Formats: sequence, C-alpha cells, structure tokens
Amino acid sequence: MIRRNVRLPLSDSLWISLENIRKRQTRSIIVVMSTALGISYLTYFLVTNLIFSTFLQGKEGAIEAYNFWLIVVSIVICAVSLINSTMIAILERYNEIGTMKCLGAPDNHIMRLLLIESALLGLGGGFIGFTFGAVTGILSCCLELGLIVLRGLPLTGFLGLSGQTMVFSVVLSIISTAYPAIRAAKLNPVEALHYDV
Amino acid sequence: MSEYIVETESLCRRYQIGGETVKALDNVSIEIKRGRYVSIVGPSGSGKTTLFNMIGGLDRPSEGKVFIDKVDVSKLDAYELAWLRCHKVGYIFQTFNLIPVLTALENVCLPMIFAGTQKSERMKKAENLLEVVGLKSRINHRPSELSAGQQQRVAIARALANDPALILADEPTGNLDSNTGLEIINILKRMNREKGVTIIAATHDIKIIDVSDDVVWLSDGKIEKIEERERS
Repeated sequence: MIRRNVRLPLSDSLWISLENIRKRQTRSIIVVMSTALGISYLTYFLVTNLIFSTFLQGKEGAIEAYNFWLIVVSIVICAVSLINSTMIAILERYNEIGTMKCLGAPDNHIMRLLLIESALLGLGGGFIGFTFGAVTGILSCCLELGLIVLRGLPLTGFLGLSGQTMVFSVVLSIISTAYPAIRAAKLNPVEALHYDV
Repeated sequence: MSEYIVETESLCRRYQIGGETVKALDNVSIEIKRGRYVSIVGPSGSGKTTLFNMIGGLDRPSEGKVFIDKVDVSKLDAYELAWLRCHKVGYIFQTFNLIPVLTALENVCLPMIFAGTQKSERMKKAENLLEVVGLKSRINHRPSELSAGQQQRVAIARALANDPALILADEPTGNLDSNTGLEIINILKRMNREKGVTIIAATHDIKIIDVSDDVVWLSDGKIEKIEERERS
C-alpha cells in the first residue's frame, strides 16, 4: 500500500525555489551581493592578469606568482562569506523545513529545493560579480597601460574567464549550502519544528 | 478496511535529559476507530504531544508499536514515513505553521505538490478546499495578511489537501480567542461528519472535549481513562 516513488517535478522545484528567492528579497540580495563581492575580487585579478600577460608578453611570471596568493585569499573570503550567509538563511527556515516534512516532503525534496535555490543565487552572484570585476579590472589596466588596452582586449580569454567564474560561483554556493542543507533535510520533523534560532 | 485507524501496542517513549531518563509515554495502548472525533486531554507534561507525534509518524517509539491503517510505523524507513505523512495524515498546529512566503492557495497546494498532483488539478482542489473553510475571497493573501483564525482555516484546508484518513491537531485553538476557536472546532467537526476523516486533537480546550466522540485522558505518560460517548 505504501509507495516509495514520491516525485517532485523539476518545474515545481524551480518554481518553489524562485518564489522563495523573490519573496525573501532582502536575504537573497545579501547572499547574491556577498557572492558577487568575492567573485568580483577574483575576477578583477584574473582579468588584470590576462590583460597584463597579453600586453607584456614574457614578463608575466612575476605577476602570476604575486597574484596567485591574492586569488587564493579572494576565494577563501568568498567561500567564508557564502557559507556564513547560507548557514544563517537555512537556520532561519528550520521551522518551515519541519512543516514541509510534516506535509510529507521527503529528505531529498528538501535538499533539492535548497540546492536549486543556492545554485540560482550563485549564478546571479557570479554574473554580477564577473561583470563588476571585469569592468574594474579593465579600467585599472587602462590607467596603467593607457587606452591601448581597449583596442586589444583578449575577448576569447574573457569569454572563457566568464564561464569559469560563473561555474565556480555556482559550485561554491552549492558546496557551502550542502552542509546546512543536508543537516536540515535529515532533521527529525519534531526537532525541526521546535528549533529556535 | 479495518475498523481502527490508529492502534498502539504498549507504546513507550523515553528521553535522555541531562543523563536522566524521562519516560514521556509509559505503556500506552489505545485503539482509535475510523471516523471518530477524538480528544487527547491531560495537563502539560502528561505526554500528549509525544503521543501525538508517535501517532503522526513524526517520531519513533522507544518500545512498542504504532499502527496507522494497519501499517506498523516503526518498520517504515524515512521515505515510507514521508509518504505516510503525505497521504494518510494531515497536521494542524497550534502555531498554524503556514509557509510565510506562499499565499493561502499555494500553502494548500504544497502537500499536493509533494504527492505529485498535476498543477491544474491541485489549483482547482485547493480553491475548493479554501471555499469549504470559508476563505474563497482571500486565496491570494499571504499568511501575514490573514487573521489568526483565517490562518488556522488555511491550515485546515492544507491538512485536507491529500484526502487523509486522519487529521492530527495539536492544540488547534491554543492561539485563538474563544469565538474564533469555536469556529475552528465547528469546521473540524463538519469535516469529520461530511468527509468521514478521523480527527485526533490534543487539547486543554473544554469546547473541543464537548464535541468529541471519544476522550482519552492522559497523565504522567499513562492513560488514565478513555471515555466513549454516543455520537450526536
């Protein structure tokens, strides 16, 4: 009599996740902005690195070694701020998660909703972050090397970079959501209902 | 179809609190007949909520068995429990627990989404249920725009969404004033009579006890007495 295949169609999960993002505007903006901040920092260094290595061929070694650590630091900053904001965002919703479990949502539905939401936020943050970081990177290169930079922009390199940073942003936000999301999904509904932040 | 919707066999639930073992439920065996309106009554700390959680498949017993519709809940894994909660049981909480970002209509749709109901069908059904509880004009309002009594009515509609055999209500009138509480009790009673859904309410409220078919008195995790009444 008991059937196991409770399915949640992708369109429904996308809809719920989008509603959640739309209706929790302030929280979503904070998460997107903190992602964008980290990603734009990262993009800035990658873009300046790219431009410098295109224009100053043969001298890029020194710049790369110096930038490598800055990039590592920017990734760490980005990850920490993301983990922090997603953790709090999910803690706030323990009660809601408990209610959904009472209504019959299996663990994987809850996980899926939270992960789709964070992937969407990561995509948004990645896009804004890349745009901002690329623009400031190009501007600062213009100041260093003159307007000649604009004429010889390595566009294919940019395209590759934009793809990489967006994927990175999405992966990073999924990873940072995974831990609190797994914890939330595995909660006993009674515990989740009575969880006070 | 069996006569009993819920059966428990020497149900025990122990909690560890600061190294001490507390018995919240001690050897509770009850049988609840299909289609009845049952109150579980007792002072706070008597194990009402614990029993309620066991019957609803929200928590597992330390010892003993719970059968919902002849299915042994303790033998189910997490997915089967979720299925059971989705299809067999509807929940009503003291604090309503509506999802704040969704409208009344969407809140009622939610259990049907988890049950895999088609979109057009669930919209129609949710509208229908909201009409039944008298909220047709407010289907697109969010919980924050509804009064406490209206929120609880949305919760009743939500509990009925997947045509459960059983509705569990934990202090459904606890956060409502006396008149609004009476409205909620009457809606529950009507659902019980019209749809034949079994209602189990944990309560202090004398008005709920008055309309109940059966009253289970709990104290210190044990059943004190079970009162069966003639159906009016």
